[in-house]
Amino acid sequence: MEQMNGKQKAIRNVLYWGLPVAAVALIAVGWIAFSSAHPELMPSPATVWSRFIKTFTKPIAKTTLLGHAWASLKRVLLALLVAWAFGISFGILIGWNKNARAFFGSIFEVIRPIPPIAWIPIIIMWFGIGEFPKILLVFIGTFVPLVINTSAGIEMVDKINIQVGQIFGGNDRQILQDIVIPTALPSIFAGIRTSVSSGWTTVLAAEMLGANAGLGSLVTRGWQGSDLSLVMVSVIAIAVIGALLSVLLQKLEKVVCPWND
Amino acid sequence: MERLNKRMEVKAVTKTFFGKKGYFTAIEDVSLDVYDGEFLVILGPGRCGKTVLLNILSGLEEQTGGSIIYNGTEWKGLNPEIGMVFQKLALMPFKTVIENVELGLKFGGMEKEERRKIARYHIELVGLKGFEDYYPKQLSGGMQQRVGIARAYATDPKLLIMDEPFGKLDAQTRYQMQEDLLKIWEKEKRTVIFVTNNIEEACYLGDRIILLSDCPARVKEVYEVDLPRPRDMVSERFLRLRTVISDNTDLSI
Repeated sequence: MEQMNGKQKAIRNVLYWGLPVAAVALIAVGWIAFSSAHPELMPSPATVWSRFIKTFTKPIAKTTLLGHAWASLKRVLLALLVAWAFGISFGILIGWNKNARAFFGSIFEVIRPIPPIAWIPIIIMWFGIGEFPKILLVFIGTFVPLVINTSAGIEMVDKINIQVGQIFGGNDRQILQDIVIPTALPSIFAGIRTSVSSGWTTVLAAEMLGANAGLGSLVTRGWQGSDLSLVMVSVIAIAVIGALLSVLLQKLEKVVCPWND
Repeated sequence: MERLNKRMEVKAVTKTFFGKKGYFTAIEDVSLDVYDGEFLVILGPGRCGKTVLLNILSGLEEQTGGSIIYNGTEWKGLNPEIGMVFQKLALMPFKTVIENVELGLKFGGMEKEERRKIARYHIELVGLKGFEDYYPKQLSGGMQQRVGIARAYATDPKLLIMDEPFGKLDAQTRYQMQEDLLKIWEKEKRTVIFVTNNIEEACYLGDRIILLSDCPARVKEVYEVDLPRPRDMVSERFLRLRTVISDNTDLSI
């Protein structure tokens, strides 16, 4: 019996660790095969790797790959800080207060389905292509999921939890602060997670339309200069940073919501 | 038993809900007295009325007819002297045991050090010493309900309302909890209103049992239970009482 368990465990371990490795290996094999068959369409992994090294020795637009990554990250983080502050507060407001929901809710429902990149023409017309319009665009892309998740989380708080607060003598502010917001915290966190990934995609779209620095600008530069290796380097950098951000957030969530394990 | 003081008088309370499909009366003309220091059991076989009645007594909901007299004066709205143990536990999953227990004290504005001390005392009282920093999820159903009891006790209520607190526990845990609840009650006497749909539990716990009818809930009968505690659930008198109540109960479950 125990041996069976040991065996099953071993098989499960192999599956858990082996399958992701197999998936990555499959992509690598596919990439090598495709790039050797059509070198004009797809640079080989080795070419991409040497292009990657070159971004450090021969800076593009006066900065290395890291500099570009940081330029993109800085825009996202700046926009996220503002979006977290306003989006979460606004979500709490329309989730908690019926009048606020009645007033802002319908406007928000209209704005909600507009994809952030659809704002690009308007924002470029109003604010040009400097730093501010990019950050504003990311803000718009991150604000919406934050408001939706936060307000939904607040609205979904079980009535009985609020009754507990009332029975134990809590006033509205105490009930909101000690019961409602912590109860909604996992939803708020879902909003934060969505906002980060949405912010990361929006910043690249914004940068592709015109920027001196940033991973998005590298993609455009590689594309226009027919430097596919540079495009691949940027795309992989985008993917790796996106994945790192999501791992970071998972860790953060464990710290902020330790009961939610 | 001396019954000088009526803690609460419920006078002809009715609750009707009005909805789109017409109206629905959950409680009809319920009158009852709650005496100081007694363990009053409200036994309701039916699906409706019990929780609504408790919510009216505690001020969470408003009755559509009748009145609540608390300690001699008519009372409306939430009453700070009433504590409550909820059927669905309603512990805060994001708060540890001690944070849950001290909730009412924190809302009352008590300093952290003092409320921790009081919370610790009550955690020990319900037998959860050592579990202060656990999250509710890490505890069994019975232990969770002990947290609910400690939380209600911690605010030092004059009247403690318990809404089917053991309804979701398995039989074994339920017996244990009934016994322990009585021990806690003997040690820290409060006036208790305990709601249940279990006849045996009612007979085991109550000084008096108020039997409600099925929908709408009305007072069907009031039983005085003068069996000495701890009660023997298989003694002849216990079984006789149980049969009498059982024969008088509307069958609905």
